[in-house]
Amino acid sequence: MPDARERVVGTLPMVLDVRPPGVHHAVVVRSIVPHARLGAIDVSDALGMPGVVAVVTGQDIVASGIDPHFGAMRADQPAIAVDRVRYAGEPVAVVVATDRWRAREAAMFVEVEYDELAFVVDEREADAPGAPQLHDAYPGNDCGDWTLEHGDVDAAFAGAHRVYEGTFRTPPAHHVPMETFVAVADWVSDDRLEIWTSAQSPHAVRTGLATMFGTEDVSVRTLNLGGAYGAKGQIRIEPMVACVARIAGVPVRFELDRDEVFATIARHAGTVHLRTAVDSDGRFLAREIDVVYNAGAYAITSPFAAGQGITRAPGPYLIPNVRARSRALYTNTVPTGPFRGAMTGQLTFAYELQLEEIAADLGIDALELRRRNMIRDGDTYATGEVMEGMHYERILDGLVAELGPRPASDDSSATVRHGRGVAITLKTTLTPSRTEARLVVGSDGTVTVHAAATEMGQGATATIMLNVAHELSMDPTTVRRLAIDTDRDPFDTATGSSRTTFSTGVALHGAALDLRRKLDALAAGDVDAGLEHRDAGLILPDGAWRSYAEVLQAAEVDEVIGDGVFQSSGGWTPEGQLRDGGPSTAHWHQGGAAVDVAVDVETGRVRVVGAAGAAFAGVALDRTRVDQQNVGCVIMGLGHSLYEESVYDDGQLTNPNLSDYMIPSILDLPERIGSVIIEDLEHGEVHGVGEMAIPAVPAAVAAAIRDAVGVSLHDLPFTAEKVLRALEDQAEASSEGGGK
Amino acid sequence: MSEYLEVSIALDGQTRDASVRGDELLLETLRERFGRTSVRGTCGIGLCGTCTVQLDGRAVSSCLTLAAQADGRTVRTPEGDDPANAELDDIQRAFVEHAAYQCSFCIPGMVATVRSVLALEPDADVETLREALGGNLCRCGTYQWVLDALRALRGESQGEGDR
Repeated sequence: MPDARERVVGTLPMVLDVRPPGVHHAVVVRSIVPHARLGAIDVSDALGMPGVVAVVTGQDIVASGIDPHFGAMRADQPAIAVDRVRYAGEPVAVVVATDRWRAREAAMFVEVEYDELAFVVDEREADAPGAPQLHDAYPGNDCGDWTLEHGDVDAAFAGAHRVYEGTFRTPPAHHVPMETFVAVADWVSDDRLEIWTSAQSPHAVRTGLATMFGTEDVSVRTLNLGGAYGAKGQIRIEPMVACVARIAGVPVRFELDRDEVFATIARHAGTVHLRTAVDSDGRFLAREIDVVYNAGAYAITSPFAAGQGITRAPGPYLIPNVRARSRALYTNTVPTGPFRGAMTGQLTFAYELQLEEIAADLGIDALELRRRNMIRDGDTYATGEVMEGMHYERILDGLVAELGPRPASDDSSATVRHGRGVAITLKTTLTPSRTEARLVVGSDGTVTVHAAATEMGQGATATIMLNVAHELSMDPTTVRRLAIDTDRDPFDTATGSSRTTFSTGVALHGAALDLRRKLDALAAGDVDAGLEHRDAGLILPDGAWRSYAEVLQAAEVDEVIGDGVFQSSGGWTPEGQLRDGGPSTAHWHQGGAAVDVAVDVETGRVRVVGAAGAAFAGVALDRTRVDQQNVGCVIMGLGHSLYEESVYDDGQLTNPNLSDYMIPSILDLPERIGSVIIEDLEHGEVHGVGEMAIPAVPAAVAAAIRDAVGVSLHDLPFTAEKVLRALEDQAEASSEGGGK
Repeated sequence: MSEYLEVSIALDGQTRDASVRGDELLLETLRERFGRTSVRGTCGIGLCGTCTVQLDGRAVSSCLTLAAQADGRTVRTPEGDDPANAELDDIQRAFVEHAAYQCSFCIPGMVATVRSVLALEPDADVETLREALGGNLCRCGTYQWVLDALRALRGESQGEGDR
């Protein structure tokens, strides 16, 4: 990347380092109970502490005339709790002081009364009769309910050779971006808010704040993000930050601690019940899917995201009859939202592990069973759409080749068994969505790009510069991109869903076309002159090269602007209909993973000895960055497979720290993880690669453990305890089977 | 109320004096008083390595070190005193050349860890450095590019099957 030096040295601009003049510091007081009516909050002692300028509660926001509720889909979440708390860790008051340490001291003196209510943590219990209800407006804890029906499911089950059934659970987990949530809000006038925030989608933040405060004059600025993985998608802490700054009357900075990050957003737990009907050759005849996602206490994007359960649940297979129901349910846990590979890994774990079980039962090799059922060009998917550009054959071949020969099973010790697992996955991308981009040539000839896609380590900025350079045949290092500010960077739905490289690339192509035509008109008097552009200049009809600076100066023009737009349409409605005739998705994301494990049957410990991820990239614009995204997916997926889980006890998240919630270190991984990148240069469409492999990883690990020791684990993560217990059950069952 | 202490720290080659709270962490002192952006707190419990600095040469977590403990000692931050003009050292250059960064929040801390090992053990091999980096977490998963950089730095060839 062009800023590699700053990245390595440590001077890369980040919101962490922003301090506007007069900035004060905030510390949040959080609920200690999972569900309660909020009683009196006594802030007098805290207010009397040195340096404290304000203590803000939800009631203060209401009293200021602002509705504290916000949400991308449903305005169900208060910036600070008003009369009720719905999860342990929810903000109930914010202390603002001259220094962070003073605010921290004063926060200990805020006294909160709770009138506790019954609570529910597990999504499997949230729709039970008599279950605690979170939101009066959404009875039954309903946070999204989607269905899909394709073909004649009942008839297919009735005529099946065999039917397989199972339940598969993925626990809540966390993104763990190394940079926590950081934001600074400054009301420069009564009607103008300037906010710096470590957010993935600055325009989603701007829209939410403009709605909340009834002003269009909201400027959202982002800098380089220290990781996000979905955690910082949509609007998150910004309503709290902006409300507090408004009421305190000073610029306010928030930097959340690690436990607060765990208390702000999480990954959906999911329980998937799967029934699959097959014929005697193992061909899939029908599938019934019932998935329940845990939305946590507030909706965020769950009412929409739950719909991905119906379009992604059949997996990359040709299944002529499908019935799917996908729901999200509110619980008294940390709200869940976008996550790398969101909503998909839960499903892939289920359908790929069940495929292994079917293959074993029918005596068919699992790879062969995949090939027999795999969706191919011209096949009709469960959404009713005819699929094109399917690459699963190449993904499977690539993964098997990448891992190479299987590890010998006797190379470690007598108690170690080796196994290999492969899994494939399919997902949609956010549809519909929109991205605008703008190119500006100044009178000095510089080319500046305006686009709101955030840089969070994936290389968005470098890719944007590469795109512009390619469109205008100029040196990418001379393309200028300023820090993102929604005042000047045009609308973009989100930096997420692996859509940025594609959608911003399309918008930039349009912007470059528009720009070239306008420059042609200035230089040659004809928008359709079709002049060749290169090196920040163009070639006139007489063959002479003119710099953009000369063209603008000759025409006495200060700047020339080119605009471009990407807009996708379609997607699904909750009633199970394609919107506006479709498609389901701007394009289908295709990926996979393969894993070699060594299982110690004495301790139950699973060691990953080899791994590879696969992604369909269309055209890989920068192989290193593509590989880094792909390998990063595998590593995060291995964490989910082996140890990552947000553990609740008595309604409390008990492991919100990096000691008890472990993420993979350099010592937990093979020294090299393989990256299989599938391209289709003929069609030339660029696909994002940020989350293609991750949904397949837990399924691949489950398959590898099954291959090694013959147990099928339906509950993630695969800790040593779970593996050992399964081995003991297996031994018991076989000794019983032996007639004892 | 916190008591204040006068400390004098040899910070990146310059003697710096400050009046710090008794409970003030070195992390806070380096960031808020001396503007060091390469030292970044995130786990708060000395586990993740992003706030690593060298105290008298040895890698420490500045989120677990009191500013007062640095009194009269040398502190080296990953970025140094004049990051805009300073030449990259061999370790930083290797990281840059081998794309050993993504979001990069954790990378300066890794550089500090590697510097510390090599300061104490100049002949340390890649495996020793890898062991030391067990305390530097990277959620982007850039580890194998870091290993590429370390292999180049130590002149070790890549293992079979590696790029």
